[in-house]
Formats: sequence, structure tokens, C-alpha cells
Amino acid sequence: MNQDKIRNFAIIAHIDHGKSTLADRILELTGAVSKRELKSQMLDSMELEQERGITIKMNAVKLNYKGYVFNLIDTPGHVDFSYEVSRSLAACEGAILLVDATQGIEAQTLANFYLALENDLEVIPVINKIDLPNSDVDKVSEELINTFGFTKDEIILTSAKTGVGVDTLLDRIIEKIPSPKGNKNEKLRALIFDSAFDPYRGVVVQLKVVDGKIKTGDRIRFMSNNATYDVVELGYSNPKINKVNEIEAGDVGYLCASIKNISDIKIGDTITLEKEPASEILKGYVPMKSMVFSGIYPLETSEYNDLRDALEKLKINDASLEFIPETSKALGFGFRCGFLGLLHMDIIKERIEREFGIDIILTAPSVVYKVTLTNNEELEIDNPSNMPDKVKIKEIYEPYIKTSIFVPTEYVGPIMELCESKRGNFINMDYINKTRVNIHYELPLSEIMYDFFDKLKSATKGYASFDYDLIGYKPSDLVKMEILLNGEVVDALSMIVHKDFAYDIGKGLVNKLREIIPRQLFEVPIQASIGSKIIARENIKSLRKNVLAKCYGGDISRKKKLLEKQKEGKKKMKNIGSVEIPPDAFLEILSVGK
Amino acid sequence: MCKSVYIHIPFCKNICSYCDFCKFYYKKEWINKYLDSLKDEVENNYKKEVLNTIYIGGGTPSSLDIDELKKLFDITNNLLLNDKYEFTIEFNIEDIEEEKLLLCKKNRVNRISIGVESFNKNNLEFLGRKYVDVKEKINIVKKYFDNINIDLIYALKDQTLKDLDEDLDKFIELDIPHISCYSLIIEEHTKLHNMKINPIDEDLDYEMYKLINKKLKGYKHYEISNYAKEGYESKANLTYWNNEEYYGFGVGASGYINDIRYSNKKNIIDYMNKIYNKDIEYVSLEDKVRYEFILGFRKIDGIDIDLFNKKYKKDILTLFNVKELLDKKILDIKNNHLFIKEEYLYMSNEILVNFI
Repeated sequence: MNQDKIRNFAIIAHIDHGKSTLADRILELTGAVSKRELKSQMLDSMELEQERGITIKMNAVKLNYKGYVFNLIDTPGHVDFSYEVSRSLAACEGAILLVDATQGIEAQTLANFYLALENDLEVIPVINKIDLPNSDVDKVSEELINTFGFTKDEIILTSAKTGVGVDTLLDRIIEKIPSPKGNKNEKLRALIFDSAFDPYRGVVVQLKVVDGKIKTGDRIRFMSNNATYDVVELGYSNPKINKVNEIEAGDVGYLCASIKNISDIKIGDTITLEKEPASEILKGYVPMKSMVFSGIYPLETSEYNDLRDALEKLKINDASLEFIPETSKALGFGFRCGFLGLLHMDIIKERIEREFGIDIILTAPSVVYKVTLTNNEELEIDNPSNMPDKVKIKEIYEPYIKTSIFVPTEYVGPIMELCESKRGNFINMDYINKTRVNIHYELPLSEIMYDFFDKLKSATKGYASFDYDLIGYKPSDLVKMEILLNGEVVDALSMIVHKDFAYDIGKGLVNKLREIIPRQLFEVPIQASIGSKIIARENIKSLRKNVLAKCYGGDISRKKKLLEKQKEGKKKMKNIGSVEIPPDAFLEILSVGK
Repeated sequence: MCKSVYIHIPFCKNICSYCDFCKFYYKKEWINKYLDSLKDEVENNYKKEVLNTIYIGGGTPSSLDIDELKKLFDITNNLLLNDKYEFTIEFNIEDIEEEKLLLCKKNRVNRISIGVESFNKNNLEFLGRKYVDVKEKINIVKKYFDNINIDLIYALKDQTLKDLDEDLDKFIELDIPHISCYSLIIEEHTKLHNMKINPIDEDLDYEMYKLINKKLKGYKHYEISNYAKEGYESKANLTYWNNEEYYGFGVGASGYINDIRYSNKKNIIDYMNKIYNKDIEYVSLEDKVRYEFILGFRKIDGIDIDLFNKKYKKDILTLFNVKELLDKKILDIKNNHLFIKEEYLYMSNEILVNFI
């Protein structure tokens, strides 16, 4: 294979700007899939891959076009996974920046563009959906020119749906995107840009050979942890699975090496040969770090082991999931889990409940606080209930983000109001064009944990798009707030709040709990406290009525059925002391007062 | 051995807004056919047991005319009764007339249950009932019967404690030995449900219940919704609460025979064609114990411990979480009876789910 004829590229876009449709069209035009075979959004189809005997989604596909080899590499679309996006881009020399002609530049357009620049990619700007009646090519062109410094001639206009402009784009890829630079005579260095678990082959690694070559039977080493394996299988997808004996510098493919545990594989890691190892790892590898921590507990304590099995199975396919056992006085035995972000957390929760059928309680997600004690010892706290006593703390630091919020100018006011209410510090505002801005705020990460995105959407009638970067830790005046039910501290309801907001949040929280906890046989006081000081109190009134006044003509079966229904309802509750709490209560606390 | 019979007469001249019983508008041409089917159902199932109670409910049994009532009594006259029997028929207040009452009396009826529900015009309108001179009608009944029940419904839309207080005064003034007080339930498939009427606030509902208990001090509160002068407790109802077996005859009627609880289907056309379809629940020994709790705890006195222990050869105090509930002072024991303490009676479902 002639390295000069290889083009490695990705399509980057804000969500729904037409990435999958464009990929489908490229597959069709390059003859990888005939029109008849083409199922809409081919690259996303798990089913097809099952038919071909590999059960996981391959996110790189090899295509032939006018004597060139195209490796089209797919990227995850969500901000939670931006590190993985960045590693996928690191396997490319170029990127197609796709912008919707009806929407213009959005937050993820910008974020993806900068990720592409960081990876020294050649970027081809494309305005898509030009067939739509409400498309505004001139305005979007202007945005691309002003924001990214493209020239008018560089911009390609397409309709991925009808196919218009896609052939021009393919020619431009050949013309503009450089061929890979590596040297096949050097020692092997291959970049891992994705991995997944296949029950028959073990871990399937997606890689790009940067230098040297890799062959079936080679003994390889992962440079981050020095784990060694024998290569059992190499291949690529087109999108059928094709086995090959070797992959050379510049090319992309997959590798199987009977790897049982996906945790051994780190996205961004460098593979080399055990016999003749390279001396330098490829740049850019960062171990993945969980941003958000939450307790996961089985609703039924007897399902603890099932829950552990479920988490272990999920981890096989998702190396970024972290978990360690923890105990809560209120909830019993469970796990503290680390996630890349809230979406990641939601996905895991869904999968535990759906795929494993275990009802779980998720405690409110927390960021990682850094705490300096008075004796200068430093701690990282990912569970609010573990926050040390106030008198022992010298300083608490919390993670901050910098936002990119894209909105039409008329919504600047509401956005600023929202960010100010979330303890935000205004940084600046970039004008994308006359009518749209990109607003930068500095916000504590904890403030965007729950409903920030929803509030953003509703404050802007859905026009805002949002992205963020972590910018490090800053000291904050934070305190631990505890919740007492019936006079007992419920550890799983503890939260870290800013001192200035503590009173309002405490009040809001006890109010919220009063609403969502059903009335019980006894009156239940709910209190919020900081240290030993009670800052808010509400009572859940005792239940007054739950009785079947009349039993008609001796229709007793019906009464029993009604009681059975009530019993089912109670089973879904968590008993804390003598108080029955709906499992959602532990997450609901985040919606309060922020 | 089965000692009770319930007979369902589903016909009504007027449908009340809250009623979700099995009922149909009165249709002259249906009555004879219905009674023929009923006669067959009784004859095919009744095993000549000597009965303690017969209860004819509805619907509106009193909507039948004299000839139809005669035909109904032809059926009940084949049922054997012991000498302490109770034989109740339900009357709509409008239907009360000497001839019908006399006919009932001649045919062994000794208890009349009357749906009065309220004296208040607005309430009656809300319930879809007509306003009549209750006192006059009750006095006619009293000429022939001394064992009478009247029903009262409360927790009505916009009803105040004062409204209820006034109603209660009038009920008490009637000097009737048995009063049933039902908190309105808005059931599915009723006019009220279709009108999207909401139940009243539960705190007010509870206040009303407390008011009733206070005002009816002259009566013995013997079951969640029932109040009686000494010796006038409804024997038919106690059959249910004591988890005893009973026949249920007629369309939509429920019964409990030979460890099977059944409900006849509500299809009156099938029934008139003598197609007697049922829904059936087989009651295991374990279920029987469950029922013992959920029914027995409706009674203020609760469950007779010795009787229970003898019947099931088990110590009731070791079953389910009885001990825990006693410790929490939710259950109590008095005169060798296990019962739900008064303050929790109105939330009894919360406690009964422990026995499901």
C-alpha cells in the first residue's frame, strides 16, 4: 500500500447537523455499499455488524475512491466524551467540519474545530442541508469566515440527503488532506483510538499505525502499562469485516489479542513491539479521569451481588466506568461510581435497570472537591458525606469550567441571569455575527450538574447550544449540609453547598422532600443542618386517610387486589428508619434552589 | 357450612353519579327473564343449608313492581332460615310504599336498608339523586319494621364540616338503629369520574370521619363505616368481615364457597340467557389467613384471638409482623381480640398491606 494514497479523516459536527447522513452518502458514492444495500445511517447500524459476525460497532471504515484509500473515522458526539473525540482525531490528518445551513455554528462545532486544530488537522468546511427551504448559506458562510478564518472558496456546499456536492467534497479530500507522515521502516508505534468488547474475540482495539508495521503473531506491548500480548487477528471494516496479515504506517485497522479485560486498554495509548520497542510514546495520552461521582445502591439489599456483577459486566465494555464498594448508613451496601459526565451516568443507570433488571438508587452526583486540612494534609472528596468536620478544614477547592454558550443576541440577558444564579463569573462574549454570540462564563462544575442544560434551553426557547472546558480548581466558601429525617442524619442526602446559598438551598430542599415523600403513618420532621445548626425544617404531615370505606356486596377479591397494588407501590420505596422514601428523592435534591 | 346468601337485583330507575355497581336501567321486559335465570342459579347451587342471613341488594331491588317482587320472593321462599335470621332488602327512599313493605314483611324480610345519603339538596343533586321527604317515608317503614339501616355519604365536593354536621343531626333525629357512613369514593366508570371530580382534601375527610364518630356516640361503632344500636349490627356484613362463606347470586354478584371466591360476570344478556360466567379466585390456606386479617381488622373489636388460633392452629401473634405492629402501638389487644388502634383505622390500608 502506497502511503501517499491514504487519506485519514473524520467528520466533525454539532449534533443533528447531518454527520451520519453524510457518512452514508460517502459510503454509497465510494461503492462500499450499493444503494440497494444502503440502510440509512449505515455506520450506526449494530445489526449489520452482527450479520457480518462481529458484534461490536466498528467506528473506522476503509473506502476506495479514484485510486485512493479513505479511512473514515467516526467520533462520539457528546461533550462527556471529548477526550475520546480528541483521540479519534489524533488518528486523522484531516477533518470535515460540517455545519447545518439552517442552524449555523453551534457550541460543539466550535469545540470540535478546536480539537481538530490541536491535532494539526487540515479542516474542510462544509455547509450541509442546503436543500432545505430555510437554509441560509450566505449567513452561515459568513460565520465560518468570521469565526474560523476560512475563505469563501474553501467552503463546500452539500446536501447529504440528495447527494449534491458530495463528489466535490471527496475530490477535495484527496486534494487537501495530506497523506500520513509516518515511516514504515521505523520501530512500531500505533495509536489506540477506540476499543470495545466482543464476546468471541475479547477486546477489539481500533488503531492507527503511525510508524513501522504490525503483523499477526507479533508480540506487542502497551506503552502506558507495559502489558504484553500476541496479536491474534488484524483487519479492517469496509464496512464488512476483512482480515489482513499486517497493517503499515499510515493505515488504520483493528487488532485482537485475546485481551480479556478492557481496562488493560487505554484510549490514546501507544502500542509497540516487545522485541524492538519504540523509545517515545505518541503524544497526547492522558489517563481518563472521572468527573462526576455518585453512589449506586440496590433498592433491594439482597441484590448487592447482582449489582456488582452488572457493574463488572458494564466495565468490560466501558473502561471509563469506575466503581468501588462503599457503605451508607441509610442505603446499606453499594458502590461509589465515577463517570465522565452526567450523560455517561445516565447511560449506566439505564443499562443497569434495563439490561440487568436491578432497581437502583442513585445518589446525587458530586464533583471531586480538594480539601486542605488545618494540618496541611490534602484530601480529595468525591462523596459529600465524607467531607471532614468544618473545624479541621483550612480550605476547600472545587472544579471550575469555562462555558461556550451559543445564542442569538436577544437571549444574552436570560443567559447572564442564569449563569449569575449559578455562581458564574462573566469572562467575555464573542460575536459570531451580528445576531449570534458565544458567551463565556466561569462556573463551578457542580452548578451544571443537574438542570443547567434544561434551564438553558428553556431560557432561550431551545436556541442555545452549550459546551465547556475544565479550567481547574478554585477555592470556594463551601459547607456540608446534612438532611435529617425523623431526627436521623441521612448520609446519602448530604450535599456540599456554597455558604451564601446554604440557607435558601436548605429551605428549598426540605420543602422539596416534603412534597416528594408521601405522608406516612407518623408525622415526619425534615431538617437541614450545617454542623449542629438547623437551618430549615418542615414536617410531613401524618397520613389521614387510606381506607376502603365500602366493600360492595362482599366483593372482597377486589379489595385484596387494591391492597396488592398498594403493596407493589410500597416495594418501590426505600425504607430509611421508619420512613418510606421514593428512590428518586436522592437525585431530586439536586433540583433545589440552585 | 354456608349460612348466608346475597342476591343482586341490578335494575335502577335512576343511576346515581357515584355508583359503580353492576346496574342497568329498569326495563320491564328484562325483569321476568332475569328472575327466571336467578331462580335457576339459586336452585342449581343452593344446598338446602339453614341460613342465618339473606341480603337482597342492588341496583335497586325496590324498583321492582309488586308482581315482580312476588316472583323474587318465590325464589327466596325456597331458602331455609334459622330462627335468629336476618333478611335484608335494600330500598330506594322514593320507592317506599305500604304495599311493597307489607309484601316484604309477609315474605320474611325483617330488615330494610335505605339509601338516604343526605338531606342537603345540593348534595343530592351532586349524587344524582332526587329530593324527597325522608322523615315521612321513614315513618312508613317504621310502621312495619324496627330493624332499619340508613346510608349516609360524605366527603362530597364543596361539602363543609358544618354541612355534614347538619346532615348528621337529621340522621340522628330519625332514630334509626343502624347507620352506615361512607366516604365518597370516585370510582372509574362513574359519572363523577367522567366529570373529573376530585376527591376532597384528605385532612378534611379525616375531620369529617372524626365528626361522625363524635356525633354518633349513641351508637356502637362496630366497623369502619358502620354504627349500630346494641343488637342491631348487620349480620350479613359480619359474614364478610368474619371471613365466612356466602352465596352470591345474580349478575355481577360475588360469593365465597368451598374455598373459592367468585364474581359473576356483569354481562346481563348472557345472564338472562342462563350463561353463568364467573371470575374465580382459589383461596389457599395461606390466603385464607391473609383474608382473616384484612377483613377482620375492619371490625373495631378486631379479630378474636382464640377463635383464630383454633381455626388455623397457629398463634396469631407470631404471624406476619404482628409483634412489630404491637410494639409500634399500631395494633392492640383487648378482651382477647387483636385490633387496629382507633387512630389508625382510617389509614388501615397502610397496615393491611403488611398482610398481603
